[in-house]
Amino acid sequence: MNIKGGYFRKHLHVDLTTGKPERRDLSEDFIERYVGGRGFGAKLVWDNLKAHDFKLDPLGPDNLLVVAPGPLTGAYVPSSGKNSFVAISPATGLYGDSSIGGAFGVELRQAGLDCLSITGAAPELSILFIDNDNVSIIEMPQLKGKTCLEAEGIIKERLGSHGVHTATIGVAGENRVRFACVNSDWSRNAGRTGIGAIMGSKNLKAIVVRGTKDLPVFDINGLVEETRKAIKYMTEHKYFRLWQQQGLMNVIEYANEKGILPTYNFKATTFAAHDKINGETMLEHYKIGDSACFMCPMCCGNICLVKNGKYAGTVTEGPEYESCAMLGSNLGVERFDAVLAGNKLCDELGVDTISTGSIVGAVIEGYEKGIISLSDLDGKGIAWNDDDAIMDLIGRIARREGVGDILADGSRRIIEQWPEMEKVILQVKGLEQSAYDSRVGASMGLAYATSDIGAHHTRAWTIAKEIEEGANWSAEDKVNLVMYHQSVRPLFDMLGVCRLPWIELGLNERHYEKFYSCVTGKTTTLEDLLRLSDDVYNLTRRMNVRLGATRRADSLPYKVRKVPVLTGPNAGKTLDEQEFEKMLSLYYQKRGWDKDGAPPVEIEAAF
Amino acid sequence: MSKKLAVIPQECSGCKICEMVCAIKHFGVNNPKKSAIRVLITYPHPVVRMPIVCSQCKKPPCEQVCPVDALRRVDGVVTLDTHVCVSCFHCVESCPFGAIYAHDDCEYPIKCDMCGGDPECVKHCPKSALRLVPEYALGESKRLNNVLSYTQMKEIEFVEKGETKTIHYAEIGKEQI
Repeated sequence: MNIKGGYFRKHLHVDLTTGKPERRDLSEDFIERYVGGRGFGAKLVWDNLKAHDFKLDPLGPDNLLVVAPGPLTGAYVPSSGKNSFVAISPATGLYGDSSIGGAFGVELRQAGLDCLSITGAAPELSILFIDNDNVSIIEMPQLKGKTCLEAEGIIKERLGSHGVHTATIGVAGENRVRFACVNSDWSRNAGRTGIGAIMGSKNLKAIVVRGTKDLPVFDINGLVEETRKAIKYMTEHKYFRLWQQQGLMNVIEYANEKGILPTYNFKATTFAAHDKINGETMLEHYKIGDSACFMCPMCCGNICLVKNGKYAGTVTEGPEYESCAMLGSNLGVERFDAVLAGNKLCDELGVDTISTGSIVGAVIEGYEKGIISLSDLDGKGIAWNDDDAIMDLIGRIARREGVGDILADGSRRIIEQWPEMEKVILQVKGLEQSAYDSRVGASMGLAYATSDIGAHHTRAWTIAKEIEEGANWSAEDKVNLVMYHQSVRPLFDMLGVCRLPWIELGLNERHYEKFYSCVTGKTTTLEDLLRLSDDVYNLTRRMNVRLGATRRADSLPYKVRKVPVLTGPNAGKTLDEQEFEKMLSLYYQKRGWDKDGAPPVEIEAAF
Repeated sequence: MSKKLAVIPQECSGCKICEMVCAIKHFGVNNPKKSAIRVLITYPHPVVRMPIVCSQCKKPPCEQVCPVDALRRVDGVVTLDTHVCVSCFHCVESCPFGAIYAHDDCEYPIKCDMCGGDPECVKHCPKSALRLVPEYALGESKRLNNVLSYTQMKEIEFVEKGETKTIHYAEIGKEQI
């Protein structure tokens, strides 16, 4: 056996329809090839898809939801609190995943599990409680309509324990809003691809875990030595203190300066009131505490309190950059307290801040342009910086009231309803674009276009390099960097650790081969791990092809291609379509995919 | 022992690195649930992140309830003699801070031993929320903590669903201890 530690080799499968939990063993081959997290999820979701002949309603009982930490989750490794949720996404109808920080995944591992999969649907609103080796499904109809935070409190009270960790959905998840998220440890969210709606469709309000087991680490002394080196590097980094103080909020200034900050639904990419919603403002007037995920010295979470004005009393963790940009500048909101209140509202209702900010921004612009009428909006007008109307609309989306019922189905449904909205809304494959404008250069466009989950930066984030290199950067180099990112970034999601120490503080990715070797006892190299990550990329791509995605699904939003940026250093720019198409072809070629972006059908046999 | 372990909750981020290094040092295992220090988090009312660890009391209730005198204060550290301990866990329940812990796998209570004077948790806390303070400065530290938790504790009123409520918070990051 190559793998001597790191795994319990246990997979818990729960069928909510029958109410039966089943423990399965994970084979050596499975854990070696798929590593964990997103890798486990992709393989199990693929098997389930095949079993259903690739016909699956994402919000039907047969969609398998996989909850998987990685072999490094909970280990003595920097920032090891990550856990992936994987399923067929109700937003895109394709492969979807979203990861979460905090300590939920750690608890799951300590309960002796490497992986949890959930199918079926409970007859009543229920919670799944995993207490070490005991698994129970508890009906809790009293949780109906409760916010994520309320639900977490009620569950802890009912179970009589402060020590459990929960992953809950809010009213948006219950209502199957296609961008509903899963909320954990009060304020960490698996935001993207609508995982919350899947839990809602299964009548599963929460997954609750308590675990107390030792994690099987093969070489604890070696691991301690390597981790101490890594943490020493991180804490001595010149930006370490800035990270502790501001977390991702420091990106607002950078994005504004470089002209990539989403503003007025990406009409502009610099925001005149950027200093009202930046990290300095947060530190000066709002921050009351730090919040870290498990084992993370960087503590990028900011706990903020609004001390006066109409939002006084609002306590929220965050916002981080994406939330602040999408609920702030993207909606023209010029007050940080309103951003905080919006962030808290999204956390409570359980909707993704990125998709919500994107959709509300598109609605404001659509209304401004006359595509959406006042009666479409149930007689309630909305405008940039109108925080009351924005909050009200977010609430109606989560509750599916009036126009909210259409908006809750995401950008595809919106385009169906108002075809002209295609020119306004920014999405790829049905997933709304995250908070970096890609008109500055084609590599970020390629990253959004070829991400397996849609327009999200999780798979590749090349914008900083794009800005740094400017016009000198060749198309081939861009494609290479996007591909490298798409290898290494998903690897973090497979190992179950956060990528921020690497991407933000430059922690050498070689550390991770040592972490993996110490934990599992299998000597490996980064290159080998990246190959495993590439295999999973091919698998998710193959999955998407089977589900109907073609080259057309890799096209970018109209606005990115046709509508020039209004302000800032990138004013007048649109994405160079010819360059983009050339790069896309080159990308397919380098990946060994055909002209339509499909990996060879033969590789299916390997999975 | 002339130094005391002081906790500065305002600085704690809840990362649990202290728990992990404690468990590794004392049990050699990757299990934060086997540590003599735990971070307790309450949210959102009030927002508190506080590591709970033995205060090495001078009149330790744990020592007083121990039926076999397994707990004794030696050189400033309340020390558990596992040769004598009968694992009744009365000490765990007697501690007013809940700073002695139990775990199913462990025969004895898990109790801070100050790592022989050089605590791992203090060395590895990335926020310096745990500090080793000379005993003569202990009053000073307490006073400063009091200053932080009382004189700087601010209070505001807000209205939620028509009901007036108050919330307390401490300014952080502006004063150095």
